[in-house]
Amino acid sequence: MARLMMFHALECPHCRRMLPLVDRLEKEEGLSLEKYEVWHDEKNADLMRSYRDVLAPACGGQLRTPTFFCPDSGEVMCGEVDYERLKAWARKNSG
Amino acid sequence: MKRTWRCFVCNDIHYGTQPPEVCPTCKVRRAYVEISSAEAGKACLPSPAPFTKDDFRRAIEDFAAKNEFQVNPDRERVATLIEGIFANEANHGLKYCPCRLATKDFAEDLKIVCPCNFLVHETYRGREKGACWCGLFVRR
Repeated sequence: MARLMMFHALECPHCRRMLPLVDRLEKEEGLSLEKYEVWHDEKNADLMRSYRDVLAPACGGQLRTPTFFCPDSGEVMCGEVDYERLKAWARKNSG
Repeated sequence: MKRTWRCFVCNDIHYGTQPPEVCPTCKVRRAYVEISSAEAGKACLPSPAPFTKDDFRRAIEDFAAKNEFQVNPDRERVATLIEGIFANEANHGLKYCPCRLATKDFAEDLKIVCPCNFLVHETYRGREKGACWCGLFVRR
């Protein structure tokens, strides 16, 4: 199964809305997303920065949260989305 | 490249590519002389009290009052964002946006210091319900 990553930030309101949707997705679809908080964990921040060349072009040229990323397919989804869009992205990329 | 300048009359400090023709504080013309950034730092007296979250909220409300946008009426959201902005200043040196990540490229990261220039962003420009990426500011 392909890796699915979520970069999020503790005080990011978009992320706070997305995290319960991700929990629901994991339960309903039997998937697991790797979650990385990036403002309070420098290791996670450096991991996100290491993908800057792939993530930033999909996110207005910047590193933004939340960002969903599948390193296997290179697919990036940036920002707050509804549950159906999140599910479609995860299904498409979970392999 | 931006440089620092000091008004020789009232000691206002200016950081930019050119000094002001007229000092905005004392109104004297051609009053600015170039100085080093270190000297500029020393010429600014430390604030007598810390710049609090309430001070910041008041500052961005004053800033927004003169513009086409306002601080988001959702006070809970704004409180969360201000928590993040102050955490970032404490942990990373500047009031970075809590919904983006600094790259470690200083010039690039100045673009995400709050308030950022969100007027050019795709989440605001040309949108009837435009907002900055984090939603701290929304179009009126």
